[in-house]
Amino acid sequence: MLTYALRRVLGMIPTLLLISAVCFVVINLQPGSFLDQYLEDPRVTKETVAAITKQLGLDQPAWVQYLTWIKGIVLHGDFGFSFANGRPVSSLIWERLGWTVFLAVLTLIVSWVIAIPLGIYTAINRYGPASTFANFLGYVSLATPDFLVALLLIALVLHFGGTNVGGLFSPKFIDAPWSPARVLDLLNHLWIPMIAIGLEGVAGLMRQMRASTLDVINQDYVRTARSKGLDERTVLWRHAVRNAINPLISLAGLSLPSLISGTIIASIVLNLPTIGPFLYDSLLNKDQYVAMTLLLLSAALLLLGNLLADLALAWSDPRVRFE
Amino acid sequence: MSHRTRTPHLAAALVTLALIGGASAAPKKVTGYSSLGVTDGKSGGTYTLSLGDSPQSLNYYGAIDNNLGLISQQLFDGLVEFNLATYKIEPALAESWTISPDGKVYTFKLRQGVKWSDGQTFNADDVIFTYKNLIANPETRAGDAGNFKLGGQDVTFTKVDDYTVRFTLPRPAPAFLLQQRYFILPQHKLVKFSIDGGAKAADINGAWPTNVAPSEVVGTGPFKLDSYTSGQKVSLVRNPNYWKVDGKGQKLPYLDRVDFLIIRDPQAQLAQFLAGNLDQLNSSGAQFPDLKQKELAGGAFKVNRFTALFGSPPFVAYNFDDKDAALAKVFSDVRFRKAMQSAVNRERVIDTVYNGLASLPGHGVAPANKAFYVNTTRQLGSFDLAAAGAALDAMGLNKKNSAGVRLLPNGKPLEFDLTYGTDSAVYPPIATILQSDFAKVGVKVNLRGILSSKLLSTGLAGDYDMILHAFGDQPDPELRRPIWEPGGSLYYWHRSLQPAKDGETPNVAKMAPWEKEIYSIFEKAAVTPSASERKALYTRWQLLFAQNLPVTPIAKPENIGAVSNKFGNYVYNLGVIPGYNPVPLIYQK
Repeated sequence: MLTYALRRVLGMIPTLLLISAVCFVVINLQPGSFLDQYLEDPRVTKETVAAITKQLGLDQPAWVQYLTWIKGIVLHGDFGFSFANGRPVSSLIWERLGWTVFLAVLTLIVSWVIAIPLGIYTAINRYGPASTFANFLGYVSLATPDFLVALLLIALVLHFGGTNVGGLFSPKFIDAPWSPARVLDLLNHLWIPMIAIGLEGVAGLMRQMRASTLDVINQDYVRTARSKGLDERTVLWRHAVRNAINPLISLAGLSLPSLISGTIIASIVLNLPTIGPFLYDSLLNKDQYVAMTLLLLSAALLLLGNLLADLALAWSDPRVRFE
Repeated sequence: MSHRTRTPHLAAALVTLALIGGASAAPKKVTGYSSLGVTDGKSGGTYTLSLGDSPQSLNYYGAIDNNLGLISQQLFDGLVEFNLATYKIEPALAESWTISPDGKVYTFKLRQGVKWSDGQTFNADDVIFTYKNLIANPETRAGDAGNFKLGGQDVTFTKVDDYTVRFTLPRPAPAFLLQQRYFILPQHKLVKFSIDGGAKAADINGAWPTNVAPSEVVGTGPFKLDSYTSGQKVSLVRNPNYWKVDGKGQKLPYLDRVDFLIIRDPQAQLAQFLAGNLDQLNSSGAQFPDLKQKELAGGAFKVNRFTALFGSPPFVAYNFDDKDAALAKVFSDVRFRKAMQSAVNRERVIDTVYNGLASLPGHGVAPANKAFYVNTTRQLGSFDLAAAGAALDAMGLNKKNSAGVRLLPNGKPLEFDLTYGTDSAVYPPIATILQSDFAKVGVKVNLRGILSSKLLSTGLAGDYDMILHAFGDQPDPELRRPIWEPGGSLYYWHRSLQPAKDGETPNVAKMAPWEKEIYSIFEKAAVTPSASERKALYTRWQLLFAQNLPVTPIAKPENIGAVSNKFGNYVYNLGVIPGYNPVPLIYQK
């Protein structure tokens, strides 16, 4: 299994190179350039624009820019610098990574903890009023975009005179040291993004879990287990659910890139300090090294998620084995 | 420093200080704004504002960035500044100045006793340093080097003594004083990034990145940097060394702190304002139509309207050099542009797009600009589709096809694209109004939406038929010469006039007679020291503009600012520009 994992990791390198090249081409095919915003300002002369073009290395042919960038990553772990911020890309991403990972992991946990039991419940009690209601909620939240839910929640909070209408903290707690009051303030703000971003995930996962539970629940081995006289709980958790959960493990692996690009609009609406809006801006401004690094990171996370999912599957499902 | 103290010890210290640093501090007294409702306030309080995005740097000259501008305004001062009520230039870090009779030598006497926020003394070295290494350095991203090369020759900066600097110009430049609102930055903190300190010219752009230690960012402004939390908040605290006092002699600013919350989405800003987390919200009438209603319904805030001097009035321009020769010929014909102006429904745009919070535009000069504006309202004409149709008939575009579209002389229908920005609150509705009214006079317009940030590059590339765009009004027309002077680098509706290289003579031979006249007006006014002569020249220009419509201005948006009732002395006439800073006067009631 170790050699398998190693082989997979090595296989990622050419894939990532190919992806980075495609990203670079696509970004460069966009009309306009980072310097457009300078042209917009009448005080900037053509000479200044030429000087900045040279500073940024944009006067060099595209393939030279690309190779220099790749060389920096391979030799120095340097992902280039942000045109807009005049700082290394990695430090800018690092600054935003903490809250991004925190929010993503938290929403993931919350949505799994809610969705899986609900999925199982609606599968077993297919026609009860409670599961009909849960299913209905699932459909609605699947159909509602996360930013819309966010806007509705904000409007609701405002209507009831609340002040927690965006961000993760009240203004005075943003740069305060950690304290019980600050944690409380965070929790008071956190539930809105949790509902807005998590709800969509809950609905999808719930439907998936329900479908695969329905699939296995009528399988021969479940009937066998039942006829052996095992009690219903063991049948369900040891035999049915353990098999039904396999597709969800793959799903979880695929959800890693959503760390970066999954919640751009909701993050903007809710004013969350995450990476999504940063990617959005860098694409709009043609801040090419930031955009490329984030897209590359997203691709790497996707590959990594796939690998982790495969490994987890091998562990959970004895039928899957690597030689 | 009080002169009433009689302690010998202190007196001795004063004498020593006087010997080292010249005379004692001369704080500037800020008075005379009672017409704006400004009263004496009291000390204390935190004022919370919003920033549309994270600042890209903390070095004002390192990035062209409005958010950085908003913060810098509170951290730094320039040699001169605007009077908040009259928009006239008055002393700031320079206490007085003289201009030689030939208009070429500017001598600034600096205010003595001004201290940087870290306690160091401000003097002529800082001024010379900032001009040489930052403002006039062609490698700085947000410098203004172009303004310090007149007729191909450099402006020279000399230090006369510790509190006197002299700028010598190769030729007279009457708008020069108005421009000297540039923020002065501290030599002692930045020299290591500068040419003076042995670094490369471009290195200065990397000074003060957003993760710099706050104590490094030192200014003479009312506030100093306290902390920056990435993507969330920039905090400023009172600069105890600030050099302004109020009418009673109390130290300014009144506020202890100014916090900027970073909120990207305008609707999220509005929500935070309504929730009371923001104390002030600056906007345009197009953005928040229901804010006024909420105020009337008992909101704890007040919505204020201010006529804007600066700002970007939208206009439409037709491409005189259109790829389609028949269209180019029609667009270059003043009769066509005037006819189409009658089909521009300005009142409707003002009412429906700006919710009434805009007024009729001037021609290159804002109507609020008392120094230069000449009333050209009559030349704007009135919305009259019948007159527009008749005028088009009269110029020979009287044949129509079965769909009711007029035919060009070559038999093709008069149909073209209108390029506009889709990601804006105002461009899409204006474009739709124009399209529907133009159709009624037999001119078929197809909408072509692009990103607003690409409008200028599209215009400069000549890749459009008709474009909806906006460029700024400035207090002095000279400051927008690249836009309005035929052949200027931004005069993109007639690109074939532009010279091959910036600064060279444009293609005068290809100019229409009225363009030639405007060109010579700008060339002359740029070197005429007499204010009254310049006013006469620019008056003639505005009339020529209004009659010949190089572009057709549509409306002049007003500045709208909502402010919490907890705070007093809110003034927002000019928006966010260097040398205009009313925040030190704001106080918590």
